[in-house]
Amino acid sequence: MAEDNYQAASDQGPRGAGNRRYTPKPRFCQFCSDQTLEIDYKNHGLLRKFTTEEGKIRPRRQTGTCAKHQRAIAREIKRARHIALLPFAGGTWEERTR
Amino acid sequence: MNNYELMVIIHPDLDEEAANQALEKIKDWIVKSGGKIEKIDNWGKRRLAYEIQKQNEGVYFLHYVSMPASAIAELEKNLQILEPVMRFMIVAK
Repeated sequence: MAEDNYQAASDQGPRGAGNRRYTPKPRFCQFCSDQTLEIDYKNHGLLRKFTTEEGKIRPRRQTGTCAKHQRAIAREIKRARHIALLPFAGGTWEERTR
Repeated sequence: MNNYELMVIIHPDLDEEAANQALEKIKDWIVKSGGKIEKIDNWGKRRLAYEIQKQNEGVYFLHYVSMPASAIAELEKNLQILEPVMRFMIVAK
C-alpha cells in the first residue's frame, strides 16, 4: 500500500522544486519512549547525533523529538559547546577532523 | 544548599603538582563559603572540540558540589582569575 512506503523516506526527505510533496516519516521522540535516556551535556556522543556535520543543532523535523526534549537537547548542546566537548557551528568538516 | 556540577578545564602543559594546587584552591573557596565537594571525576587529558588559548587539549575535572547559591557569583569571579583554569562551567543539578 502506498501509505506503507513512507518508511523508506530518507532522513532529510525529498526537497526541491520538482518534488513539492513532502512525505512524512513516522517519528517518535526517543526520549519519551525511553525514559532512562538522559539528555546531559556530558553525554556528548549522544548529543553529536543531534547536530549536523558542521555542528549546527538539527531541527525537530529531522530528529523527530518532541518539543520538550528538543529544548533540553538544545540547552545541553550549548553547554557542551561551552566546555569544548562539541564544536560551535561553522567551518568545514575536514577542518575539524584534522 | 543546592547541588551543582562544576566542570573545570586545566591547562594541559602544567605538571600534576600545579594542577593539584589549582584544584586545592577551588576546594578551599567552596569549603570556605560553606559548601562541600561530594566527588571529583578526573576525565584526564581530552582533545578539545576547538582551540582554547591556543591549546588543542585540556585536562577535565568534574566536581559534584553542594553549596549555597549566594556563593556562586563569588566562586565564578575567583575561577575567572585562576590562571591554570582555561574554561569552567557551573551547572545547577
